[in-house]
Amino acid sequence: MSEAQADSAQNGSTPVDLLDKFAAIDAARAEMASHGEDPTRVVLDGLISPTEARSQGRRLLLAGTNNYLGLTFHPDCVAAGQDALARFGTGTTGSRMANGNYTGHEALERAFAEFYDLPHAMLFSTGYAANLGVLNALVGPDDAVLLDADAHASLYDGCKLAGVPVYRFKHNDPASLDKRLKRLGDRARRALVVVEGLYSILGDSAPLAEIAQIKAQHGAYLFVDEAHSLGIYGAHGRGVVESAGIENQVDFVVGTFSKSLGATGGYCVSPHAITDLLRYASRPYIFTASLCPSVVATVHAALDVIRADDSHRKSLWRNARALYEGLAAAGFALGPECSPVVAVRHPDRGAVIQAWQALLGAGVYVNLIVPPASPDGGSLLRLSVSAAHTPAQIDELLQAFETHCQALRPAR
Amino acid sequence: MTKPDPAIITAELIRLLQEELDVTATPETNLVDDLALESVQIMAFVTEVEDHFDIAIELEALADIHSLAELADLVRENLDS
Repeated sequence: MSEAQADSAQNGSTPVDLLDKFAAIDAARAEMASHGEDPTRVVLDGLISPTEARSQGRRLLLAGTNNYLGLTFHPDCVAAGQDALARFGTGTTGSRMANGNYTGHEALERAFAEFYDLPHAMLFSTGYAANLGVLNALVGPDDAVLLDADAHASLYDGCKLAGVPVYRFKHNDPASLDKRLKRLGDRARRALVVVEGLYSILGDSAPLAEIAQIKAQHGAYLFVDEAHSLGIYGAHGRGVVESAGIENQVDFVVGTFSKSLGATGGYCVSPHAITDLLRYASRPYIFTASLCPSVVATVHAALDVIRADDSHRKSLWRNARALYEGLAAAGFALGPECSPVVAVRHPDRGAVIQAWQALLGAGVYVNLIVPPASPDGGSLLRLSVSAAHTPAQIDELLQAFETHCQALRPAR
Repeated sequence: MTKPDPAIITAELIRLLQEELDVTATPETNLVDDLALESVQIMAFVTEVEDHFDIAIELEALADIHSLAELADLVRENLDS
């Protein structure tokens, strides 16, 4: 960092040079790494299992990977990927709209439509691209989006790409949504309500039954991002839309393959026939290479696994309850409900950073979340539970928090 | 209905800031630099402002808001005349 850049960062003055703005980022990065390793640059040298890795010669217990169902090493998925790799090569080298449309893409879209019992499905190259791609094509400057205040960055970015007016409503507050739809008047019929099934930072689920009722009263549309709930919620694993009993009231369900399905990519399913036309209007769909055939094959195999076998979901919930209840009993301040995402919250950013470093030093990897990524200006350690965690590993996590995170316990 | 005077709106915003975020402000207060508020806190405060005045503020409009006086102007623009 140059002297001018450092000065700009210190006194908050207006940057004069193109690169000056990075000084503030550098200062924030340095603060996070000040007590040891850089939380954003932990390198895994090898994977021992879905829940254990080697990093810099030591064993790490992984509790921040979003590998909810633990399918990343499932033999069916690995075999399907290897077979597709041998038969179709390493990549498609093009967009679905040009040379990148393979039988695997079409088959996976049919499988997703069948899984949700909906007529239309569409794949994207990542979950982020799915949110950008659907919003970019679906809404525009003459429409409106009603967005939950804690929505993921990809949903904010999708709205920005679409150029649509955005009105935020209070997180998980149907009354706040209702007020804003009322204020739109006749424009409510051109409004899209955008929420998540399970919120990824605090692990709280959306009150979808109430939200669906309100959107219907105003004639609006409903978009639900199930990135963190696919395969986890509902009797068949179709997410919070299934567990809330609103599958016939949702207009667009979007999700990712990078969590429960253990790969990468994204999807949208919908009852609306225009879904197939989104392909012609979605820049993040048109102007990027399609998913690699091997990835498509592993996702299809993982989807088959969760359709045929609910044992992973049951193991996940058993582990989630054990971890959430154990940390709550130990006196930590957690998110509002038990879910596979467990947030240990504390207002002091420095204390949370130090606790993260202490856990890593003890061989436990969790996620460090500081503002502006955290919803209320506080900081937190985020754990994501896996079906593949053993009871002994859950106990190891509880013991690690007991030993290394005393400073995060609220004063009594 | 005539729109309220900007000074009245500003005074109401100062009261709301005290009530919601426990911070003291003046019309010239810069919400980010002077109050050291995180962007998420400012957005949450604006949600309270919307409900208080029963108005709808577009997220994009907040990009140009730095001082409390500018926020007061934005609230006034969005009030029905």
